[in-house]
Amino acid sequence: MYVLHQIDDWASLIVRLALEEMAVPCALQTHDFDAGSLNSAEFRALNPQGLIPVLETPDGPIFETAAILLWLADRHGLMAPAPQSAGRGAFLSWFFFVSNTLHTSVMALVYPERMADEAAAPAACAAALARLNGQCALLETTLAAAPPWLNPDAPTILSPYIAVLLRWAQFLAADPACNLDLTAYPTLRAHLRALEVRPAFVRIIKAESLGLTPFSNPQE
Amino acid sequence: MLEGAGLPYRCALVDRRIRQQDSRAYRALNPTGLIPTLETPQGAIAETGAILLWLADRHGLGPAPGSDDRATLLRWLFFTSNTPHADLRQMFYPDLYVPAAATSAHHARLSARMICHYSLLETAAQTKPELFAPTGILAPYLACLMRWSVLYPRGQAQWFRLADFPALHQMATTLEALPHAKRAAQAEGLGPTPFTAPHLATPPEGSAT
Repeated sequence: MYVLHQIDDWASLIVRLALEEMAVPCALQTHDFDAGSLNSAEFRALNPQGLIPVLETPDGPIFETAAILLWLADRHGLMAPAPQSAGRGAFLSWFFFVSNTLHTSVMALVYPERMADEAAAPAACAAALARLNGQCALLETTLAAAPPWLNPDAPTILSPYIAVLLRWAQFLAADPACNLDLTAYPTLRAHLRALEVRPAFVRIIKAESLGLTPFSNPQE
Repeated sequence: MLEGAGLPYRCALVDRRIRQQDSRAYRALNPTGLIPTLETPQGAIAETGAILLWLADRHGLGPAPGSDDRATLLRWLFFTSNTPHADLRQMFYPDLYVPAAATSAHHARLSARMICHYSLLETAAQTKPELFAPTGILAPYLACLMRWSVLYPRGQAQWFRLADFPALHQMATTLEALPHAKRAAQAEGLGPTPFTAPHLATPPEGSAT
């Protein structure tokens, strides 16, 4: 049995959605950030960086959201084109893009002070939104071509990853004026809408109390 | 990576002097306009990490899915791609991220972050040396990031010293001495010590910056 170290609505949510969609059972180890449980000796022994998520497996703990997702997909033969299949290369291209570009932009939008001093943070937040809009436009174009690995009715691990990142981008920007508006990306929004009514996703959305439209129109 | 595995390939220069990466033809291959793109019989693949992992799986060059070291390989490959590589990009193109007045504070924060990232990688390379072997996919990726960390951004004080990270230093020394790495370095005008004592490239064609 896997153990997912999680906090509601943190990046562990992405892994939890994928596990539920795969119907792979998993125990939860819930952490309390405010109580400092990420700094506990026990958790640091498992993960010296103190990051969420961690997935404990029979092969040892796995770190990094994307690494956990791809490892699970390959291990269970679900939610990703198989390593030798035709769509694998294009799928991996976008999966790395989401991990190193979209994820990075959303973090800069929510936490601009990590990279810039206080005075520059508003400008850094606005710059992150500008980059994010460019990245959403790329996703919109890609979705319009309906590749089989980006289909909301047969989601790959790309879908929950994109959905959770764009959820945060719509209401957690450090400057509320910089929250992402998906109106310009109707295909992307429709993809998110289709995901949030899937039974497996709905179970996790309810478990983490994320509201009725957590991806297409999230409310604080 | 391709040279090391002995895989046949040909190079197609993307000429940045004429911003060929923004041309319609290149954007059709890779909509992000970033370099590299690998054209394969199964279509174009973008993203350095994706290309490396696809090649490794396709040609049996690293821990395969299902093997014991797969999780650790994926962990460090995604970390390299989304943390040190992403931070270096911010350091090299600060105007995409902060106003001009904030550039030096931005550089100071990012260089401190980068030293933390390299420290984590150093520990990993000491703990799991086989994953960082010069024939694997992590060594060429990290060696290039370390080369750029020495050389760029121009006009800033030296912030990275490879000698501070002995296992990564050893990895780079071993890699650049291998015949395939020498061929690749020569083709791109990188000189005899591209990773341990790099100097700016003088490529026979195109532009490195």
